[in-house]
Amino acid sequence: MALRFRTPHIEELPTAQTKQAPGFAWVTVPSAVEKPAADLSNKKRGTRFAAQGQTDAQKEAHSVRQQEKINARIRELNSDNARAGGVVVPKKEDGSAAGKGKTPNTRKILSSMKHFSHYLDDEVAEFGLTGKVDGMDRLTEGGLLPAASVAGAAQRASKTPLARRLQQDQSTGGSPRPATPSAVPPAATPTDDQGEVIDGNAPFPSQAEIDALLNAPPLLYSAARSAAPPVSAPPPRVFCEICGYWGRVRCLKCGARTCSVDCETIHVADRCLKFYA
Amino acid sequence: MARQKPQAPPFTSLQSRTLILDNGADTIKAGFSSHLDQDTKSSADACHIIPNSISHSTRDRRTYVASQLRSCLDFGELAFRHPVENGYIVNWESQKAIWEYEFFDDGAKARGLWCEPRETNLILTEQSSAPIAVQRQADEMAIEEFGFGGYARVVGAIGNAYADSAFGNGEGEAGVPAECLLVIDAGYSHTTVTPLLHGRVLQSACRRLDIGGKTLTNQLKDLISTRQFELQKEDWMANQIKQDVCYVSQDFDVDLERVWKGGMTDRRRIDHSIVVDYVLPDYEEIKRGFARPHDPSSAARKRQLGIGMPREDLVVIANERFSVPELLFTPSDIGMQSEGLVGTILQSLNALPVGLWQAFLANVLVVGGTSKLPGFVERLEGDLRSRLSDDIVLRIAHAENPITHAWTGGQRLAHNETALKQIIVTREEYLENGDGWMRRKFLGKTGG
Repeated sequence: MALRFRTPHIEELPTAQTKQAPGFAWVTVPSAVEKPAADLSNKKRGTRFAAQGQTDAQKEAHSVRQQEKINARIRELNSDNARAGGVVVPKKEDGSAAGKGKTPNTRKILSSMKHFSHYLDDEVAEFGLTGKVDGMDRLTEGGLLPAASVAGAAQRASKTPLARRLQQDQSTGGSPRPATPSAVPPAATPTDDQGEVIDGNAPFPSQAEIDALLNAPPLLYSAARSAAPPVSAPPPRVFCEICGYWGRVRCLKCGARTCSVDCETIHVADRCLKFYA
Repeated sequence: MARQKPQAPPFTSLQSRTLILDNGADTIKAGFSSHLDQDTKSSADACHIIPNSISHSTRDRRTYVASQLRSCLDFGELAFRHPVENGYIVNWESQKAIWEYEFFDDGAKARGLWCEPRETNLILTEQSSAPIAVQRQADEMAIEEFGFGGYARVVGAIGNAYADSAFGNGEGEAGVPAECLLVIDAGYSHTTVTPLLHGRVLQSACRRLDIGGKTLTNQLKDLISTRQFELQKEDWMANQIKQDVCYVSQDFDVDLERVWKGGMTDRRRIDHSIVVDYVLPDYEEIKRGFARPHDPSSAARKRQLGIGMPREDLVVIANERFSVPELLFTPSDIGMQSEGLVGTILQSLNALPVGLWQAFLANVLVVGGTSKLPGFVERLEGDLRSRLSDDIVLRIAHAENPITHAWTGGQRLAHNETALKQIIVTREEYLENGDGWMRRKFLGKTGG
């Protein structure tokens, strides 16, 4: 019988006795493709959307596509109205040439059509190549400097507290918790049930630590972003498309959420995208 | 121009007047200050709030530059161009046009903001973590193009450390920063959390939540457009609706229940104290939209096709009032992979040594236009309080004027000649030492 759930690797240890047992034997299927063909236990509406023969890779791709759609929507929300291209900067009445820029550099700046995303990409590229921006360090996620293997970082040896951080593992996986400098290791501070470290009486950090904090280079734009909620956080909330209440009901055809049969009727009548079956 | 030994740059005197520009994405807060002033009290009257945009109306075929918007009578289908994106000046063509109109053209004399750049110091704000190219451009424009006599580019949050304390500690000395301050700036492009120690930014602990006033306005536009009335082209109108009716709910679940009409078998009575009828302006008869409490019988009136009634475009706003600002506290509602504002603050604290936590949590300052939403500070305080243990003292202050607060700090800083000399780079120093030196100085890195 195939194992239904993805379990950690289970090894069958060979046993000495081999009894001739009637009926069945445990067999591990090499490629664990799930096939809930006669899965009669779950007759609820969501069944159609349960992974029917989808491999893990396909499920991953589907959720990546969904996340891409969401990201595109968020980018749209955070953008200025696209029609701004139609707004032309008015020319001055005297039409003097001074409007064009006094030096070659400023002329270039004034005629540049770049958006912020272009500058961001440039900076990410420069940082990826050299580990530095404009010849100076920048902090990556988790408040760490790039690893010593990146060109030029070896010159940082003079700033001791930061150099010690270079030894630490850079891949913090986007977690907001930085590797604390080994100068002041955190004592085993008690945590409350929400995982917040509680100690209103922790010692004030030393002057060296404070100097290190003050002299730290700025974060990269992407590193300064608020990190994703921890995996233990509740799943994102879903709302009804029509009225905005909790989205408890999923449309059978397109998967959109509505709150009740009333709103679902409206959705199926006007808004469902899959109206050609 | 790398120098082996940092030498003290040749002393050149500061210009007598300083122009402080808090160059935000939505508005520029601008005004003058002088270290020669006898009176070092901060005065928000000196601060002018200028819309930082160039807008164009296809209906009238008129273009409004910056404060010309105040004379606009028809905001319908007004398209905006903002020079500032994500908190950084990106489009210098429009920014230059705005600055010239506001500060350098002859017309500016009437508004009291005219100045001669060669004889003025400029304090220009930016967001932290700016891409270097953006910083270089700002420096280039300020010194080469406009030709300011003195120039300083500072992180905007720093202004808050120099302003009058919002905690009621009374007026400090001008130019002396607050010791510890955790600044939460709920702005137009995004919301930032910036810890300041003695007026200097603790860079490793700055965090940014990509939800700002712009996001909320666009979300409100989307919701109303899909549910009731097409508002996609009406940026200004949607912004006004947001400012008029939106508020932050103290208990989202409860409020959502109150305005649900119920399911088929589960009829509910909507609590009409929350629901609001918003009358949209048409800029002919009705110049300004307004809200009134919901009148259920108006539905019947509408059905009579406005017989005997003046035509009005009505939008009924119920849960959008609080579900839109809720994005600040739960960005995952639209699928954004970020923690809410409270989570972001805790991330910022986690990047600091534990010994500093109490100091910062006792000095939390909330500024920014979006913080003017009713219920914002209460909700923030409640949520943050519940995430912290009881023995930590939490003190949150809301700036009296959240929009001009940082500017008033810049004004007080400019009153103090010593503090001013530390940050301003004069034109002569720049020509002597080069732009790389100047950039490092703004970062606080050079000894010179």
